[in-house]
Amino acid sequence: MNDRDELVQRLFLRLNQSQFQLGLGEYLAALSAVEGGFGQSLEELEDTLKLLWCHSLAEQSQFEPLWQLEIAQISPRQRRKPPFPGGRKSGRLPPSPSSAATPRPSPPTPHPLPLNSPPKAETGVLPVQAPSRLTMAEEPLSLQAYYPISRRSMVYNWRYLRRPVADGPQDVLDVAATIQQVSRQGFYLTPVYRRRSRNQARLLLLVDQNGSMTPFHHFTRALVETARDTGALEPDNVSAFYFQNVPMGSLYRDTHLTKPVGLRAVLNSCDGGTSVLIVSDAGAGRGYRTKDRIRGSIRFLTQLRRYTTLIAWLNPMPQHRWVGSSADVIANAVPMFQMDNEGLGNAIDVIRGQPLTYPYSSSL
Amino acid sequence: MTPAERLTFYGDGRQPPSPHADAPPTPEAYLVSEPLRKAVNLAIYLRRPLLLEGDAGCGKTRLAYSVAYELGLPLYRWDVRSSTKAQDGLYEYDAILRLHDVEVQKGLGLPPAPSTEADSDDSSPDHRNPGNPKHYRRFGPLGRAFRLRTCPAVVLIDEIDKADLDFPNDLLTVLDDPWAFTIRETGETVTADPHQRPIVIITSNKEKGNLPAPFLRRCLYRYLDFPNDPEQLKAIVDRHYALRQEPPPAAPLTTAAVEIFLSDRQERSWFKPPGTSEFLDWLRALHSFAPEPYSPTQLRKDTVLPYPELLFKRQDDWRNAAKAL
Repeated sequence: MNDRDELVQRLFLRLNQSQFQLGLGEYLAALSAVEGGFGQSLEELEDTLKLLWCHSLAEQSQFEPLWQLEIAQISPRQRRKPPFPGGRKSGRLPPSPSSAATPRPSPPTPHPLPLNSPPKAETGVLPVQAPSRLTMAEEPLSLQAYYPISRRSMVYNWRYLRRPVADGPQDVLDVAATIQQVSRQGFYLTPVYRRRSRNQARLLLLVDQNGSMTPFHHFTRALVETARDTGALEPDNVSAFYFQNVPMGSLYRDTHLTKPVGLRAVLNSCDGGTSVLIVSDAGAGRGYRTKDRIRGSIRFLTQLRRYTTLIAWLNPMPQHRWVGSSADVIANAVPMFQMDNEGLGNAIDVIRGQPLTYPYSSSL
Repeated sequence: MTPAERLTFYGDGRQPPSPHADAPPTPEAYLVSEPLRKAVNLAIYLRRPLLLEGDAGCGKTRLAYSVAYELGLPLYRWDVRSSTKAQDGLYEYDAILRLHDVEVQKGLGLPPAPSTEADSDDSSPDHRNPGNPKHYRRFGPLGRAFRLRTCPAVVLIDEIDKADLDFPNDLLTVLDDPWAFTIRETGETVTADPHQRPIVIITSNKEKGNLPAPFLRRCLYRYLDFPNDPEQLKAIVDRHYALRQEPPPAAPLTTAAVEIFLSDRQERSWFKPPGTSEFLDWLRALHSFAPEPYSPTQLRKDTVLPYPELLFKRQDDWRNAAKAL
């Protein structure tokens, strides 16, 4: 393995640690690009890898410091080996210190490798002197926004909440069936129409507002909007109501909690086929364990179960933060999931009547 | 394949001596920056789709034409619409026409033609034979590109983000090993020649949301910036007029127009910033709309841009421009 391949490999591993989602195919593509002469100099190699591995401007800016870091680790060893033998992959060249023309001024390294490294050089692909650099590598991540689930994933997930019933007008031309009929009868009479199918799934969203949920308004708004507007569900079949902390007494039609509706009236609109998704941190946001909250939530869930059993709870706090809070207790009474891609997918599985596959246990 | 014998895109606007019949007939006034040229070459070498993103009007679509022209390769353009399915790009099957042909044949009292697989001519035949299902399939842009055997094709998939959510992922199943798809109606499998796999250029406006991660992973990604360098913009102007074989505007006018356009583009807060094509139109208007070309000194003095309808495409931009007086 020559220096370029090694650099590519180390960078690949490093990027994958930084949540770049790259597969082995991308790694092999990079190697073949290097082989094809798309990485003669360091600048060219950087360009090539950026093209191949970064898929947004944000990722490109994340790539930069990691690249510098790897270069900095490689460059001390250039004193022993000539850097990046140009042209095609060749065997190791004899050490010639004079030819070590550095392609770009390498940034100063805080901990240069000792020149007389131990003889076991083969295992030195990933040097063990990493700790001080790991903290540096993690820095770009801390600047990223907390974004466990994208709008796109929400749209995707809602599409699984469906109950297609062919009860629409009979106006969909079935070409295959028409032709089959004609060929069976031997003459053409009339086209075959099918009834248009509609998604009959009904969804009731109950969203916790204000207080510890304020940081997540961004997500809850997106959740309601995507359920309503992206066409996976019939807009008439989606209703969203808001509450604060515990749904009791009355719910609200708007996010500012000014238009109350009686809880009884909302529940009466549910039947056995209504899917109910509750979005609340259940006290995990601040980590409190409040008896009133637990009791209120359990009472509400009991009440709700008389109408429908398709109930799931989506918690914007990550699961490890539930431990010890009210959410810990409530999660044992209702299928509760954290709000990420997998969690939303599981929650939707539950509210469409699929068996629960990931029951919560606080032993985590 | 050594670098000498593989396809390389130079971006110099020259066409090889014998281009393919479906290659674009006219050259493009397209100035390719060095990084973009490299991106294209890497995409050609690895045969991975090249995803171009950027503001409207910065020349994403023209690049595909430019590549196809210079390499002399056929260009198949696929405009994505909201109802487009991935299969539309592969083939369409006209079962109704086949049924119609059967009826006509019966009506004329002809004996049913023997169902022969022999005359599996690929081009649409003069005499369709209902006995042969192959006469009723029509290939889409990708389908045609897959069937080329002598040279690869450039496939332009324009504005991919308009399509349905599943579209990019469905596309990937075709643009990946083994580069093949099956025609259900005839049972054929169309496989791309391993050496002539299509060069796919995909454009996206980022109208809504992100593309799915598995799709992005497979693509080469390049964000196209607007040519903010005056020299670059001037070069684009020169090239544009040279190709049309028209005399370019006088140098002072071009310089003044480029300066004013670029500074306006950067300083004003636009809702819809004008692109390169808008600039070319504007310059053209300055140059030849009135009997005399617009005077560069007057242009520099103007507080209101002349021919604003070529630059402001939204009511709020228009209003802001009026307010700035």
